[in-house]
Amino acid sequence: MSTLRWARHVTVATAALVMLATAACGPLVGAVDEPTVLAAASLTGVLPAINAAARFSFAGSDTLAFQIQQGAPADVFAAASPKYPQQLFAQGLVAQPRPFAINSLVLIVPRANPARITGLRDLSRDGVRIVLGDQGVPVGDYARQALAALGLSGVLRNVVSLEPNVKGVAAKVALGEADAGFVYATDVRPVRRKVRALRLPAAAQPDVEYQVAVLARAPHPAAARAFVRRLLSPTGRRILVDHGFRVPAG
Amino acid sequence: MRHGFTAIQALALSLALAFLVLPVVAVFLQVSPAAMLTQLGSETATQAIVVSLRTNLVADLIIIAVGTPAAWLLARHRVFPGRRLAVTLLELPLVLPPAVAGIALLVAFGRNGLLGHQLNALGLSIPFTEVAVVLAITFVAGPFYLRQAITAFEAVDPRLVQAAATLGAGPWRTFRSVVLPLALGGLAGGWALAFARGMGEFGATLIFAGSLPGVTQTLPLAIYSEMNRDLDAALAIGGLLIIIATAVLLAVKMIPSWNPTPASSPTSARRFATSSSTSR
Repeated sequence: MSTLRWARHVTVATAALVMLATAACGPLVGAVDEPTVLAAASLTGVLPAINAAARFSFAGSDTLAFQIQQGAPADVFAAASPKYPQQLFAQGLVAQPRPFAINSLVLIVPRANPARITGLRDLSRDGVRIVLGDQGVPVGDYARQALAALGLSGVLRNVVSLEPNVKGVAAKVALGEADAGFVYATDVRPVRRKVRALRLPAAAQPDVEYQVAVLARAPHPAAARAFVRRLLSPTGRRILVDHGFRVPAG
Repeated sequence: MRHGFTAIQALALSLALAFLVLPVVAVFLQVSPAAMLTQLGSETATQAIVVSLRTNLVADLIIIAVGTPAAWLLARHRVFPGRRLAVTLLELPLVLPPAVAGIALLVAFGRNGLLGHQLNALGLSIPFTEVAVVLAITFVAGPFYLRQAITAFEAVDPRLVQAAATLGAGPWRTFRSVVLPLALGGLAGGWALAFARGMGEFGATLIFAGSLPGVTQTLPLAIYSEMNRDLDAALAIGGLLIIIATAVLLAVKMIPSWNPTPASSPTSARRFATSSSTSR
């Protein structure tokens, strides 16, 4: 076979494949009728107790919001702040978000406490190694908010790493590599043998409200609504409280 | 029959081309050259480019300085007890997921790690520093160079090495004026692979070194951090990374044509050509 004809084969087939790839943008539909839930990393421990059969993808709320904007074939979005659900709601990508849980921000230090931190003021001492959530990651934004409320924004110069989600912050402190980090109260439980948690003064405590919403293009809308119903039900609220969350009134 | 087989081959090649090129094309359809130029002026991108290039340069110098003599030793002595074990251990990081590499580096060189006490005693603290980024890159990219260097040296005709020795050249001179010129194409290919892997390093760096703009935030980390804030900025920085990577790939493809030994015999020239083409 001549080189020319061979090359024509390649060209035609390549063009066909590219067209096929561009055309085939339909959602991937799972076989079982269980919802796919995109949830904030801080919900890793609790949501499987609400519905063990659902499929979960845990990450930073901002990452998940980005995935939804890019058309992720998921059913439910549970975020660690109202910011992203409301943003997606305004864009018509999710149905009306509902608040379902409240968390609080705490400062964690390694059990050995190498930098001898007993309060937030100690964070501004030279050489203290602090890890925060990155800008736009809710736990990082809440931490910056709390520090600003206390007039301690100077602490930011001691930051050694900006983590993409709250578990990254908790892990670096639990491993003793960082001297302190801000996480949610509920993130302390999995690492409680390795860290100590310090409460924030009430004046600096931000409102950490979780909101949940069903995606506008959910492949399993009925299962998605059932998941949200259970989350908001007395059973769901009890499970949330058992895992250290507070629940909104009503 | 022959026709059908050719069609299958052509289909396979098309599939590979379409699949591997489509995502890269998509990036450049989304991002304009103007946007990339704007990003080049942004602090996030410039800092990340500087951190990436500086850490990769240092890591590559270490990889080449240590990897080249080590690979020559392993290539010259094909049989010695423990050789296979040594080669396997050197290749181990190739099969480790980056997250595992990051945790492993942390428990080895971290403050509470295996060498933590010794490093603390010397006043050294590695995590969250540029040194940690260099170590992460060296760990994940080094084996790519080592593997390729061993192959390149093994392709050097041992009779040429013997001849050089017979003619009175010492081991250092033999290595410099016979072995190194013949293996250069393969070594350059190995370095290109290591550089590409190092520039793209993400997971091990994030876990071991953290991510702080201007200190430990390399290009891939900056893209990930930017993606959640400003997708267009992330795409533009991604485009820059693709351009840098392509430039390196092209530069290395040019290297074998430098053929550095015009005086070498036809045999060795042919061997050189074979080694540099099989090594890719």
